[in-house]
Order: sequence, then C-alpha cells, then structure tokens
Amino acid sequence: MARVVVDVMPKQEILDPQGKAVTGALARLGFEGLSVRQGKRFEIEVAGEVTEAVLAQIRSAAEKLLANTVIEDFTVYAAPAPEQGRTPQQAAALQQSAPQQTAPRPATTPRPVPTQGTAPQPRPVQQAPRPGTGGQQQ
Amino acid sequence: MIPRIGVVTFPGSLDDSDALRAVELAGLKPVPLWHGTDSVQGVDAVILPGGFSYGDYLRCGAIARFSPVMSEIIKRADAGMPLLGICNGFQILCEAHLLPGALTRNAGRTFVCTEQRLRVESIDTVWTNTYTPGQEITIVLKSGEGNYVADEETLRRIEGENQVVFRYVGNPNGSARDIAGVTNERGNVVGLMPHPEHNVEDLTGNTDGKPFFTSVQAFLARALG
Repeated sequence: MARVVVDVMPKQEILDPQGKAVTGALARLGFEGLSVRQGKRFEIEVAGEVTEAVLAQIRSAAEKLLANTVIEDFTVYAAPAPEQGRTPQQAAALQQSAPQQTAPRPATTPRPVPTQGTAPQPRPVQQAPRPGTGGQQQ
Repeated sequence: MIPRIGVVTFPGSLDDSDALRAVELAGLKPVPLWHGTDSVQGVDAVILPGGFSYGDYLRCGAIARFSPVMSEIIKRADAGMPLLGICNGFQILCEAHLLPGALTRNAGRTFVCTEQRLRVESIDTVWTNTYTPGQEITIVLKSGEGNYVADEETLRRIEGENQVVFRYVGNPNGSARDIAGVTNERGNVVGLMPHPEHNVEDLTGNTDGKPFFTSVQAFLARALG
C-alpha cells in the first residue's frame, strides 16, 4: 500500500496555544531555546501508486475537510516507500548511510511549500533514522 | 400559526434540550431534528446547539458540518431561513463557511465558564431585532475554543458591513476585536459563543437571552403572515 501524508499546521499569524504550552513545558524540563508550533499529520493509504491524480484528490480532501484554510496551511506529499518495497541494493545502501544520519544536517531543511505541494517532498530533519524511512529519500 | 423551530441533535450535542425548552418557553413550537436525516421537517428556523459534536474530533464542528441534515440546512439558510449557531453551533457555521472566520483555542489555554457581559452591536438580524443597539447583557459563556479569528481584511469587512453582532465586555478568550458573535450579509444566520438558551428564566440567572427567541418570533410573524 502506498501512503500519502498530509501535514496540517496553524498559520504563522494564528496564535498556537498548544505549541506555546509545549514550548513552556520543554523549557521547564531544561530544553532551552526551543519554540514549538503544533500541527497534525494524516497518513492516508491509497490503492495503487501515488500518481498526480491521487495527490490532487487528496489535496482536494485536505482543502475540504482535513484542514480549515481560514486558520491552517497544509502540505500533501507521498510518504517514503516502506522497507519491504526496497530492492536489496537500496536496503544495503541505506544500512551504509545510516550512521551518517546522526551527523548534524542543516537545521533549516526547507518546509514544503504550504498548500501547493506537488511532487513527493523530503521529510524535515530526523535525528535518528526510523527503519524504512531512511535518508536515501532525501 | 405557531412558528416551528428545529433544534439539531448531533452525537455529542449537550444543550439541545435546553434550546428546545427555551423555544417552548418563548411560545414557539420546538421540533427535535436528528443529524442523520436529510429532512428538516419543514421547520421555519433552525438552531444548532452547544456541545461537543463528534467529540470535537479533527476540529470543533468540522465533522458535524458534513452531517446529512446539514446540506438541507445550508440550502435553506442560503435561501433566507433563520439559522442560529450557539457555541459548538457557531463553530459548525464557521466550518460550513456560512459565517466568516473561525474559532480557535482560548488564548489563555483554559476552559472559560462564566456569566459573560456582552454588548449588542447589531440588531439588524433575524435573531437580535428585539434588543437595543449598545445594550449590555449578561449571558453564560462556557467554552475552551471560543477565540474568534479572521484575517484583517475579513475583520474590516464584517465591521464595515455591521456583521459583528456581539462584543465581549472584558475579553475572556482572546477573540479578535472582542468579537463574541457575527452574522452573514443577509442577517438570517447568526453565530455566537455565549449561550442565550441558558438565560431565559429568572430561576437560573436572568432572562437576557430571551430576546433571541422573541426576535425570531417577530421576524417569522412578519415573514409568515
């Protein structure tokens, strides 16, 4: 099953009390200098491949239901392929590249353009690679 | 003929019985409506009550807005039928784009439950025509996501078009321009966060919410003849 991800975030100009609460809690726990905005992530399984038509359908669903565009922006993109979908070569390459994942990468990985995302987009920085979602996609 | 006022019950509605009772106390005929039907039984007006429809899943009112009964209600409201959204009902009306803006989490991050002072800004609506402009009233407010937001252009437009119906006296939740309730261009659809249906008897506070019901009664008396 292919998956499409919809990220929904409160618009920059909209107050985000949940993000503020989390930011405050992190500071109390000693995580200094972090500022959080909190959104939602939808993972949608689709039959067959993630074509442009499928992405268009899901963008329409996001516009209609998943996000309220008065207060939220959304991004639609194909999820990285699952582990079992990889060729042995890809899997081997992933294992080799895995240790490099812990090396610092630019903290400013650009976010996909809100609401108009089209092609599969890179995920934002992940500190530790989760199995099957490794950096080969980047 | 006594006007018939429908009150929709969604899964998770809480104040439907109070709304039905307030309708009856005002001498109107209450008609319970179920969210899962596509008929509004020929009612003359509809109230969407407070509560937590569909558990507030996704966003407050986002799923209720697509309930079967809503397509008929939206169609009739577009044709001029009086429609009032109270609290969760207001959130549903914003999600349905029948009213401008959106309701977000209270700026203070806490649920607010209080007897709230309000100023009547517009009596040019089906639901507020028996108030007087500038009148101050006290109505129960109880909500966690009552923070009204809209972009600057929308705020300017609704203020210019007299679509702000109530403002808070002492902003309890961070709402833009102290807005507590708004109406559409036509004045037949009104939404507000406070609960007029809880303020219709002296026994439980005051009767400052009663004019909502006498207003729609006056309007329908003229409209239905």
